[in-house]
Amino acid sequence: MSGHVVVNGREQPVGRGETLAALLERLGVGARYALVERNGEPVERARYAEVRLEDGDSLVVARPVAGG
Amino acid sequence: MNTHDPLVIAGREFRSRLLTGTGKYDTFETMREALAASGSQIVTVAVRRIDFDAPGEDITAFLPEDVLLLPNTSGCETAEEAVRSARLARAGGLPDWVKLEVIPDARYLLPDPVETLRAAAQLVEEDFTVLPYVLPDPVLQKKLEEVGCATVMPLAAPIGSGRGLKLRDAIRIMVEQAEVPLVVDAGLGAPSHAAEAMEMGADAVLVNTAIARAGDPVAMARAFRLAVEAGREAHRAGIMEEGSDAAASSPVAGAIHGA
Repeated sequence: MSGHVVVNGREQPVGRGETLAALLERLGVGARYALVERNGEPVERARYAEVRLEDGDSLVVARPVAGG
Repeated sequence: MNTHDPLVIAGREFRSRLLTGTGKYDTFETMREALAASGSQIVTVAVRRIDFDAPGEDITAFLPEDVLLLPNTSGCETAEEAVRSARLARAGGLPDWVKLEVIPDARYLLPDPVETLRAAAQLVEEDFTVLPYVLPDPVLQKKLEEVGCATVMPLAAPIGSGRGLKLRDAIRIMVEQAEVPLVVDAGLGAPSHAAEAMEMGADAVLVNTAIARAGDPVAMARAFRLAVEAGREAHRAGIMEEGSDAAASSPVAGAIHGA
């Protein structure tokens, strides 16, 4: 079953059993640090490849930016 | 004098006592050169949601590999927001060190002491190494030390103002009673300000705008590096006491025109 997730407030289609790592790759976030919260909980980087997204998941995807 | 004089934070040694921020540079290339010139080993970054419509360049490609990245919690106005930001950064692979900022005030960007203390206690409990940004408040300093903060980082003047050590008397008290490294953070505008903080006995300073917005940021980074080194060495050397009268540097007796 495919479905949709919400990434930073915007709907994204996801394929059946698609992993978080695959979604990040598809979104072009292959950088050193992609920081992810799934349904309000931070996701450990080591688990990106095993977390399978579910229809209706809400994600925050962040990264380091310039700051003091 | 022993030349081995590392800055030690949470058991980790650093040669450099100049921490730098990465904000406000015109380009990431300039930032990279300035960071190298500064000699900094601790470099701050912010954490923000990615705008997929305009992702821009990835800053991490321009950051040296051998520095400690220090994610801040800028943009957070409550303890809960700051804890959430720190957890997100750590889970995603950034270090478990955090520059804790809780700032509800947009005009002067002054930190909230109550929320900062609450967030600090929570983050220490979760095994973060916590470096809180605060107003110079010696009482708050003690409370932050008691909950286990790794440093206390009082501001010299409002962020980005470049006004120097406007709150020097309170910072002097904090220096006197510090049990963890005291880092003067924010408001330093010139290398002389940084040198003054170090001469007073601050353990380190954190500088961003004064370098990034200088006419030549790379040269200014070098100037701050030298000022921090000079100020530290002067503090360790022992600065002479001030006197109210003149005291001649040359011998009083035996002048050529004398008897």
